[in-house]
Amino acid sequence: MKIAFTSTGTTWDSMIDPRFGRTENILLFDEETKELTVVSNDDIKNEAHGAGTATAQKIFDLSPDVLITGNGPGETAEKALKNMKMQICVGANDMTVFQAYDLYKGGKLKVL
Amino acid sequence: MKEIVVISGKGGTGKTSITASFAMLGGQDVVVADCDVDAADMHLLMAPDFGFTEGFYSGEVAVIDQSNCVLCGICLKKCRFDAISVIKKQFVIDPLSCEGCGYCSRICPAKTIINKKRLAGKWFISQIKTGSVMVHASLGIGADNSGKLVAKVKNEAKEIALEERKDFILVDGSPGVGCPVVSSLSGANFVVLVTEPTVSGLHDLKRVYELVKKFHIKSGCIINKYDINPDKTGEILQFLEENDIAHIASLPYDENFTRAMVQGQTVIEYSNGKLTEILAESWGKIKQLTTN
Repeated sequence: MKIAFTSTGTTWDSMIDPRFGRTENILLFDEETKELTVVSNDDIKNEAHGAGTATAQKIFDLSPDVLITGNGPGETAEKALKNMKMQICVGANDMTVFQAYDLYKGGKLKVL
Repeated sequence: MKEIVVISGKGGTGKTSITASFAMLGGQDVVVADCDVDAADMHLLMAPDFGFTEGFYSGEVAVIDQSNCVLCGICLKKCRFDAISVIKKQFVIDPLSCEGCGYCSRICPAKTIINKKRLAGKWFISQIKTGSVMVHASLGIGADNSGKLVAKVKNEAKEIALEERKDFILVDGSPGVGCPVVSSLSGANFVVLVTEPTVSGLHDLKRVYELVKKFHIKSGCIINKYDINPDKTGEILQFLEENDIAHIASLPYDENFTRAMVQGQTVIEYSNGKLTEILAESWGKIKQLTTN
């Protein structure tokens, strides 16, 4: 399973970025290889408009099985993400990436 | 540190007057962010010192380097926005008409047109009369607010709040339901919806609440001028109940709102009566709802 997190930083101890479209980074964790990859979202967070859909496109290219974020994507981005057949977990506000992963494993995050 | 965003959906409900009062009541615990950048007016009430100023760039604009121009006129013929004209035998681009599409720069045979980043406005960090800090912005003529600018203002406010260990960021949100509002809401811990008992007040409240719901943010509502239309106020209260939105307060119609604004003051500085009492109670409730 590959799991994507929206995060303000680059490590397990970084905070979850509650914003989807304008998240600082996307962290991708591969449960098989145990590797955590950092994908910068610098190019998109500086778009004047349409950040949500552009980030959704980026997520599509990374093709994770699960997305974990805070407030959640907006309407159009959510529609796009749902067509990708991935699980979208929201509500991981005010916690580290590791804590969010832990909650997800325990089935304690809200699924859209 | 918690982020409280005040939005209204509809203009003229008293959002900024109420936000400014909360900023006064919060005093040094609150960093203020004015994200209503299209019609920024919070600065009129907060006496900012514009201590730090920086340009804000968004989108692009084409510029002709006259020294290499061969006066062929192709750009003028091809520009779909009629942004290019001849002034004193020179081809000149009107930045207000230019959409920054870059087509002229692509077809220019002399390669003398380039697309530059467009200066859309300025953003500021100010010391304000509450004893705290406000991050705000002002746009140039014809420039529009964007999710990017709102995110910029909010992020700066957030950094200051973290650095100075402030308890709250108070955001005067953007109007409507478009990109800037999405950016205002994103990352918020609590949303205050300010409305009034009119047909459009209720309609726009419902519309903006759809957005708040989408982002799973707790919210509460203040009904301003509740006594001008008791029937509509009843409908609003019913809507709040049906959707589990906290009813923070109902404020009576009061001309002190306007009088205070004319004096460049917040309502609570100007009048010391019932209104101040309700606003102080409301601020207390909001803080409680945000932190719980």
